[in-house]
Amino acid sequence: MSRWTVRHLDLAERPQALERPAGGGSVYAVFWWRDLPLGMRAFDPGELPLDRRGLEQVTVEFGAKIAAARLAELGGPAPAGYDGRPQVAPALSALAGLTRPLQRLDALAALADRPAVDLSVIVCTRDRPEDLARCLAALAAQRSPPKEVIVVDNAPADGRTRAVVERFPGVRHLPEPRPGLSVARNAGVRAANGALIAFTDDDVKVSPSWTSELVRAFERSDAYCVTGLVLPAELDTAPQATFQVEMGGFGDNCIPTLFDRRFVETNLWEGVQVWRIGAGANMAFRREVFERVGLFDEGLGAGASGCSEDSELWRRVLAAGGTCLYEPRAFVFHTHRRDWAALKGQMRAYMKGHVAALMAQRDRVGEPGAVRRVVVQLPKFFLRSAFGVLKNGATDKDRLLASQVAGWFSGLRYLWTGRRRPVPTLAGDAA
Amino acid sequence: MSYRLVEVELTRAPEPIALGPEDHGLGLIARWKDRLVGFEMLKLDPGAVLDAEAVTELAERKFGARVVAAEIEAELAEARPAFAASPPSLTVAVCTKDRPERLERLLRSLEPVVRDGGGFAAVEVLVVDNAPSDERTREAVERLGWPRYRREPKPGLDFARNAALNGATGDLLAFLDDDVVVDRGWLSGLHGAWAAWPEAGGWTGLVLPYELRTEAQVMFELRGGFGRGFERIVHGVEKRDNRLYPVGAGIFGAGCNMAFDRRLLLELGGFDEALDTGAPLPGGGDLDIFYRVVRSGRPLVYEPRYAVYHQHRETLEQLRRQYWTWGLGFMAFLVKQMRHDPSLRPRQLGMLRWWFASMIEAVLWGTKRRLFTEVGFSLAELWGGVVGLVGEYDRSRARVRRIREVA
Repeated sequence: MSRWTVRHLDLAERPQALERPAGGGSVYAVFWWRDLPLGMRAFDPGELPLDRRGLEQVTVEFGAKIAAARLAELGGPAPAGYDGRPQVAPALSALAGLTRPLQRLDALAALADRPAVDLSVIVCTRDRPEDLARCLAALAAQRSPPKEVIVVDNAPADGRTRAVVERFPGVRHLPEPRPGLSVARNAGVRAANGALIAFTDDDVKVSPSWTSELVRAFERSDAYCVTGLVLPAELDTAPQATFQVEMGGFGDNCIPTLFDRRFVETNLWEGVQVWRIGAGANMAFRREVFERVGLFDEGLGAGASGCSEDSELWRRVLAAGGTCLYEPRAFVFHTHRRDWAALKGQMRAYMKGHVAALMAQRDRVGEPGAVRRVVVQLPKFFLRSAFGVLKNGATDKDRLLASQVAGWFSGLRYLWTGRRRPVPTLAGDAA
Repeated sequence: MSYRLVEVELTRAPEPIALGPEDHGLGLIARWKDRLVGFEMLKLDPGAVLDAEAVTELAERKFGARVVAAEIEAELAEARPAFAASPPSLTVAVCTKDRPERLERLLRSLEPVVRDGGGFAAVEVLVVDNAPSDERTREAVERLGWPRYRREPKPGLDFARNAALNGATGDLLAFLDDDVVVDRGWLSGLHGAWAAWPEAGGWTGLVLPYELRTEAQVMFELRGGFGRGFERIVHGVEKRDNRLYPVGAGIFGAGCNMAFDRRLLLELGGFDEALDTGAPLPGGGDLDIFYRVVRSGRPLVYEPRYAVYHQHRETLEQLRRQYWTWGLGFMAFLVKQMRHDPSLRPRQLGMLRWWFASMIEAVLWGTKRRLFTEVGFSLAELWGGVVGLVGEYDRSRARVRRIREVA
């Protein structure tokens, strides 16, 4: 795999070209309209430089979808289809009056200026003090400082995390000796005082407008949960590029998307694809969510089943009639796993955690398609991927297939573990 | 089994659409301010009625984002400095054999477009009558008076195309098959694509169905037809999302609606007369020329406003034969390409593997669903591919040599 450079390009500035990187290689371009993310695309060296006309085509393609999904008279956030993809369908009656959509993007690109005094930020971390220091530095630089930042120090081996937190005045240090990401997140929620509770991870750098954009998103909608855009901080290694470019990373579009009853009902029969809603590295909830549907499932997530504690909670939110909103204006930068061993471990954990979460969904919200997804859809997906290798030859992505299958196998035991314990509640002990 | 084909102008309030008792669906062509923005096939029950609300909902979902895109294109065009270069002249070549009615239908659709000029410095229409069995084509052209007529006695589409190349005077040379009619925006669409990418070596355009009257025509369109979408695509030297690019030349467009820089065609030596020969090897010539244009380093531009309507094969037997010729023509083209352009060997072998795997996949897919007509199409294409792979190109070259000797 070739070398990759991440480039950010503001199309409102009418750039003349997307140049070749000085050292050669491919480019992962993120396109913006001032501060508004429009979309991203990968370019091979042979496609560069992309001249003004090529950039105008990009402007047309991304600008149209963003305008259609963001201009209020055209209908607002696009509803998610069964696969989580936004179904952009601007109102025909309003299109007649639509002139100069690009000019209208200027107003949409204005940054939020909402105070975040009701927002608590929770960062769960375990023995990664250098990463945490970078994460806290970005949180200290918010245009709208949050009510509080709580660092949950999860089963630490030593005092380094505490030492880092002490360098940041006002950041609370909350030790949680029981290991597990869900355990840590629940401890954070119980300690938080804000009406809105946002989560990010220690390997993430949030953008300066992150808190105010989250607050604006909650003010403008009645969504219970808001997720945001997760951009790659770097694509310096082949595993990082594979994860972002071949596998879509933590999301590859910038279209605000509403996940509601329609999203659930269109795909009940093969399992609602809740993991499409967003990523735990960039998510926020109204406090009532935890009162109504409970906290994170401590049997799920890193340190337990592997992952998907976030999507299982979203599933309960949807089952309770609440909605989730993907708002890419709240964007963060994530450093993906740098080496193959780590990425393979992540893929294995994802698949195992995915199976576990599906079974939790079956038990909690009666997900009718959950078992079908585990025993039919996923094996089909593996077979299709294997056939794809026969058909197209192996790509870097296929190096991860074995890890995914292994993760699926080790997740199968969750099929038989029977009805699980109820999730912990905000009040304290598990009910 | 037919589909009703309806055109809607989205700037006007949608009206209800009623299907006839024999219609099993709807083919919807959408325009915005007269510009083509979308085409959708929708399966419905015979006699169904889509009320205005349902049409609106469908249009918003399928075409809404393209309408916003069209408005952004207009906005960008306003801001762009006026285009200075002087417009080129154009020769429109129609190669035909013994189908005067279809030819006349095409020429009737061309006449107002050519009279308008579409922004070109000059436009001439050249009809190449390929090894005719009678004088009907010549008489039809003479009756109209305004097209030029030229006869090519050597039978074979690429003989006719090369005759057009040698007889043409325009800076650009556009080709149309006789089984299409042109859209009213066809010529200005080609001019717009030229003005945007004047350094391109070739341009291909949108091909919509002329009618969806028979089961074969509906099936062809449902299986993808000639559709390449409603966004302009610039095909350069590399393509990130296509690891076998440009070996599978089918993505570029279709030979029934294509145009080239005439000087480039002459430099490239014209069309390969051993491809597209009619009966024994009726295909591959368009793929071959698209491929050679792109490999020459000049971009190939697909332009949706440069649109024609193609009359698809009417019977299932004809359609099955078409898929057979696609397999045959594609493999003959691939064999030739492997011989003449060995620098892309890994991609060519990858294409062989991909092509056969895809065909087998399609056969299995159809068998599982008991769609035996579909399976028949896939088997026909697969068998054509096998025949094409084992020496068809050389057999065709030998045949063509004999034709040249006779002439």
